[in-house]
Amino acid sequence: MKTNKSRVWPIAGTTAGYMLIYLFVIGDIGFGHYGWHWQAVSSPLTRMMEMRAAFHFEAVAMAELGRAVILISPGNLFVSAILGSLLAANILGALDLRHSECRLPGRYSISAGALPALLAGGACCAPGIVLLLGLPGLGAFIGLFAWLVPLSVILLLINRRYQRRMGAKTLLFSP
Amino acid sequence: MRLNTLLPLLLLFATTVTAALPTFESPLVPRPLSAYTGAMQSGGPPKDGIPSIDDPVFRDASWGDSFLDDGDIVFGIHMNGKARAYPQRILVWHEIVNDSINDEAISVTYCPLTGSAVGFYRGDTGLGVSGRLVNSNMVMYDRDTDSYWPQILAAAIRGPLQGQGLREFRVIWTTWGRWKSRYPETGVLSDRTGYMRNYRNDPYGGYNPISGYYKSGSGPLFPLMNKDDRLAPKQTVLGFRTADAAFAVNLDTLRNKGLLQYKYAGRHFVVVHDPGLDTGWVYRSQDPLDIAPEGVTFGKNGPDNSVFRELTQVNAFKVMWFAWGAFYPGTNIIRK
Repeated sequence: MKTNKSRVWPIAGTTAGYMLIYLFVIGDIGFGHYGWHWQAVSSPLTRMMEMRAAFHFEAVAMAELGRAVILISPGNLFVSAILGSLLAANILGALDLRHSECRLPGRYSISAGALPALLAGGACCAPGIVLLLGLPGLGAFIGLFAWLVPLSVILLLINRRYQRRMGAKTLLFSP
Repeated sequence: MRLNTLLPLLLLFATTVTAALPTFESPLVPRPLSAYTGAMQSGGPPKDGIPSIDDPVFRDASWGDSFLDDGDIVFGIHMNGKARAYPQRILVWHEIVNDSINDEAISVTYCPLTGSAVGFYRGDTGLGVSGRLVNSNMVMYDRDTDSYWPQILAAAIRGPLQGQGLREFRVIWTTWGRWKSRYPETGVLSDRTGYMRNYRNDPYGGYNPISGYYKSGSGPLFPLMNKDDRLAPKQTVLGFRTADAAFAVNLDTLRNKGLLQYKYAGRHFVVVHDPGLDTGWVYRSQDPLDIAPEGVTFGKNGPDNSVFRELTQVNAFKVMWFAWGAFYPGTNIIRK
């Protein structure tokens, strides 16, 4: 089994980039004028399992780093890592279908990754967008946002499987 | 144990349980209770997903200066000779502080979506955030009976205490600079809350300067039971109610005139502007008051003049107009 080393960095980069955006949007990363300070909760194992909202977990520690603050929540890191890596796999799959022995016309191959990617983005941003835009009455649907994370994961998995059947390469290892 | 022995004990137990949270009969509830439970909806977080502060730690005003700008909003209380300031930047993440002052158990509550800060006596129990909303307003629950209490209505709409009212006390919405000038000895709720939050960031926007959800011109996010277009939705009013009617004071008018008098059903209400804290104090009077606004002086307990000591003070709090109008259809607006 060979390792496709050329794909390691795109996957890692896309995953890390998505995680940063996700954690920024949910407020676990912030920028501004902070001091230099570290604090942690007294019972991290219990606290890390507590949910602030659907698939949004409590932080167990906080680091103030001058111009940035980072809340460390193992649950949020896990959720963002899962979504980010699935998103990276979908984007690479869409590019594979476009560049190689593709069974789909170019524009379809790109759209094969677009919808799940859009949903993955919405999984973190939707409640924030509601607040930002202040659209009247949109709060009535806020309960539905809880389903965006599992829905994104399922769609990204289904789409990745579809891409493989259409001829997309494996992610990191090839026989 | 025989029944005639057991029954008084059971009754005593029941009385003890329901007496834990100080309540009163017949609060002002303009609609059937079922209308409020029907309008109740998820706000996103689960029950206690917004965690109340149950072991608050207080620091002195010099710490407050390092944490707050003079223009930052605080919710102040002055009770039993002690002053405390609860920064909005902390309460926006917790919404309820279960506190005690000189053995008086209280809850200071704040709903960011309706811009309302209200104080309640809590007895031996505590209040928590249910994660539900009515008219965008936080629905609290009490940890004794799990009854549900919309903060503005201050009446239980569900649970064993359904129909009862919560006893309130005055919470003053003002700025840190104004509060510390009036109460230099004040304590300040510290950011050591037991939870990890970025207290320099408000997820809804900001008050200093005003931005995001709090800006006038933006609309409410959640459905309302009643829409009242007499004022702009996000305009701040000073709301108060009696057993049979609700009132909203236009704060701009109050600032300009200094003192407003209003007659309703044979009763007189006097609303006086406190320029030091930029708030209003409401009194009920048998007759109209003969006092000029410039003659009113203010101390730690509000208006100082002896004439006010003879009157009954009515609790009032600042609130966004759309929420007040949604809870109290046809509310009386005091404009002149």
